[in-house]
Amino acid sequence: MLDAFSRAVISADAKTAAIGGGEIAALKGFIAEGNKRLDAVNAITSNASCIVSDAVTGMICENTGLIQAGGNCYPNRRMAACLRDGEIVLRYISYALLAGDASVLDDRCLNGLKETYVALGVPLQSAARAVSIMKASSTAHINETNTTGTNPVETRFRKMETVQGDCSALVAEAASYFDRVISALS
Amino acid sequence: MKSVATTVVTAADAAGRFPSQNDLEAVQGNIQRAAARLEAAEKLAAGLDKVTKEAGDACFNKYPYLRQPGEAGENQTKVDKCYRDLGHYLRLINYCLVVGGTGPLDEWGIAGAREVYRTLRLPTAAYVEALTYTRDRACSPRDMSPQALNEFKAYLDYAINALS
Repeated sequence: MLDAFSRAVISADAKTAAIGGGEIAALKGFIAEGNKRLDAVNAITSNASCIVSDAVTGMICENTGLIQAGGNCYPNRRMAACLRDGEIVLRYISYALLAGDASVLDDRCLNGLKETYVALGVPLQSAARAVSIMKASSTAHINETNTTGTNPVETRFRKMETVQGDCSALVAEAASYFDRVISALS
Repeated sequence: MKSVATTVVTAADAAGRFPSQNDLEAVQGNIQRAAARLEAAEKLAAGLDKVTKEAGDACFNKYPYLRQPGEAGENQTKVDKCYRDLGHYLRLINYCLVVGGTGPLDEWGIAGAREVYRTLRLPTAAYVEALTYTRDRACSPRDMSPQALNEFKAYLDYAINALS
């Protein structure tokens, strides 16, 4: 597993070059923006169960066949497996965001995931849809643009206490990790 | 490879949980300490060729017998390889300064070094002399800030101890 720092080392070693100039400047940027990165990770982890359950619910609302007899989220046992997998994917994305590198996500989560789902008969399109809903709500949490949605008395609604737009640079990075999962499933 | 965030992520993954507040605090601590290390890495990278040359020159000055026939530096090709190796050690120290651990030196510099040097009949004392010269020559604030120098010398000492 690598992070932004060890990634720089691995790529420099492949060229037999010392790390200097532009690479050091990029790592200094990582350090300067470090607290924002931690805030972004915190935005995901603090709202993890909300993000996961909303994504799975949304996926089912769009395709109610999933919870009818014979659907892939029927019975509860399979629905529970679906929620668990959503949480696992989100957890590895939070690791990748913390490390600033996708290798942990690739090696420990996505490697063989598609093949496993195909073998188990999990519909890849639905799984990818749940991940894309998680992407929308996670980036909204990081960027402080989340709303109560269509339910004005949503009791789980929570805004993080960071300055709005402060973590905008991290939004793109987080989105890229979700996109990585989606493309691995399709 | 152990680095600023990987240790924390490995522990969290082993427990199967999201990064906790403690994990985030630990990463923040590592990040705060990284500034001095990156300064040292940057300065070292900028002067790498010069530092390598000085270290090699010091080594051949102290042990002139190395240039005699049958010794490790008997011809220019072998001398050049000696300078190249010193460059490698300094480059690995540059990597160590970036990740904040001895992983690169351990994995790519020290593991197997003793066996290789014994087989090729190379004197490790010469490398020790060169690296010691570099350590004693580096000074603050001419080369880098005191904190950065401290980090740099720590990794030099680590390499010296491993070769001694």
